[in-house]
Amino acid sequence: MRLIRTVVREAVAAGPGIRRLVLMDPEGWPLPRQKPGAHIDLHPPDGLVRAYSLCGDPAQQDRYVVAVKREEAGRGGSLWLHDALEVGAEIGVSLPRCTFPLAPDATRHVFIAGGIGVTPFLSMAAALERAGGNYVLHLLHRGALPLPGHLPRHAVLHDTSAAPRPALADLLGAPAPGLHAYCCGPNGLIEAFEAATRDWPSGQAHVEHFVPPPLPPDPEARPFTLVLARSGASAELPAGAPLLPAIKALGGEVEASCEGGICGACKVRWLEGPPLHRDRVLQPEARREYLMACVAGCAGPRLVLDL
Amino acid sequence: MSHAPGPVTPTWLGVVAHLHVTARAFLPMRPQEAITLIAGRGIEGDRYMLGIEEGFYSAKPEEGRQVTLFEAEALEAIRRDHGIELLPEEHRRNVTTRGVPLTHLVGRRFRLGACLLEATRLSVPCRHIEEILEKPVFDPMINRSGLNCRILEGGVVRVGDAVRPA
Repeated sequence: MRLIRTVVREAVAAGPGIRRLVLMDPEGWPLPRQKPGAHIDLHPPDGLVRAYSLCGDPAQQDRYVVAVKREEAGRGGSLWLHDALEVGAEIGVSLPRCTFPLAPDATRHVFIAGGIGVTPFLSMAAALERAGGNYVLHLLHRGALPLPGHLPRHAVLHDTSAAPRPALADLLGAPAPGLHAYCCGPNGLIEAFEAATRDWPSGQAHVEHFVPPPLPPDPEARPFTLVLARSGASAELPAGAPLLPAIKALGGEVEASCEGGICGACKVRWLEGPPLHRDRVLQPEARREYLMACVAGCAGPRLVLDL
Repeated sequence: MSHAPGPVTPTWLGVVAHLHVTARAFLPMRPQEAITLIAGRGIEGDRYMLGIEEGFYSAKPEEGRQVTLFEAEALEAIRRDHGIELLPEEHRRNVTTRGVPLTHLVGRRFRLGACLLEATRLSVPCRHIEEILEKPVFDPMINRSGLNCRILEGGVVRVGDAVRPA
């Protein structure tokens, strides 16, 4: 797999356990464009691929900015990015993917962020500031602020170590035409957001996970035949078997990053199914054509992929 | 009035509409007023220059991919047939031509400005262009994805230069 070559040009502490990295082309060339809300995968040499939201101004085309929270109990990727990666070092990154876009038809955006979950909203707010868009960012944090000095103009801070967490329904207000709500943060905050927006019109409430939610086994899963349409290779899989290793065993090539159905790296076109979609990233319309291979299964006897 | 007997040789005369290079795979193509072709190697500053390759396909070296061309007319056809606006800096070939029947030139030699090229094969589209552009252009680009050439005589090529049979 080819990656985009970048060099670490800045690495600065930016809040509790957070390191802010500025990545640029080795000769300062413009990088592939980034949409507000997009993320990239960082590829450290140990192979621990990790996805991070881009949190710089998307109009600055010569840099990708990410903020890495130190996760002592994580898979280890964040520790390397904190302790081993130095200014001037090279690191490969993926193309930006945007699974958390600004709604193009919105007239007002309400952002709810928990801690380091503020990152995608920094690029969104920068784009909205430039375009004269209407937004507010509610940042829920415990004590010291994440990314101080980089927060947007219309940010409302809620220190939950000093006061109880505000009711999200109060922050969001009533649903209205043109009003779009977004949430990024720990799974507990996302669950509260989903509860608060349950009765909102379809498509006006958006979430981005930064930790894949645990997936229970799907009761509808059954044994099926996996077919790769381009090579004709096929395999019989037991109910609930993961697709990614099966695709690789058949010689198919799929990128993967979070392996938990949230980052969008392993999007594959399906031709025959129906698949069981267990991701948290594809919109209903996109599911008619694509699946996320890391978490998808099959509800029928055959799953044919465009690979 | 009489016609001379014998075969008719069709001819054409085209022009360089746009020039682009980029240093590395994935990076945006940069517009240029002029590019310098090096015989047998490639374009100065481009990712497929032999010897310093950083292109997406550089792991599969190809001697006949020193310079690539694309028809402006194909951009117009993709807009007309598919409603997709594909810009000259987005097809990721180096030279955008107008009035040149690129698909007819495989195996032939022709002049790009003062340079002499030999067409080696038709280009094929790549799925990663859809990732880069976030536009569904892969299928529309099949069979009209441009031309790969080797450089027999190098030199400077400018926007507005003529393209003609050798």
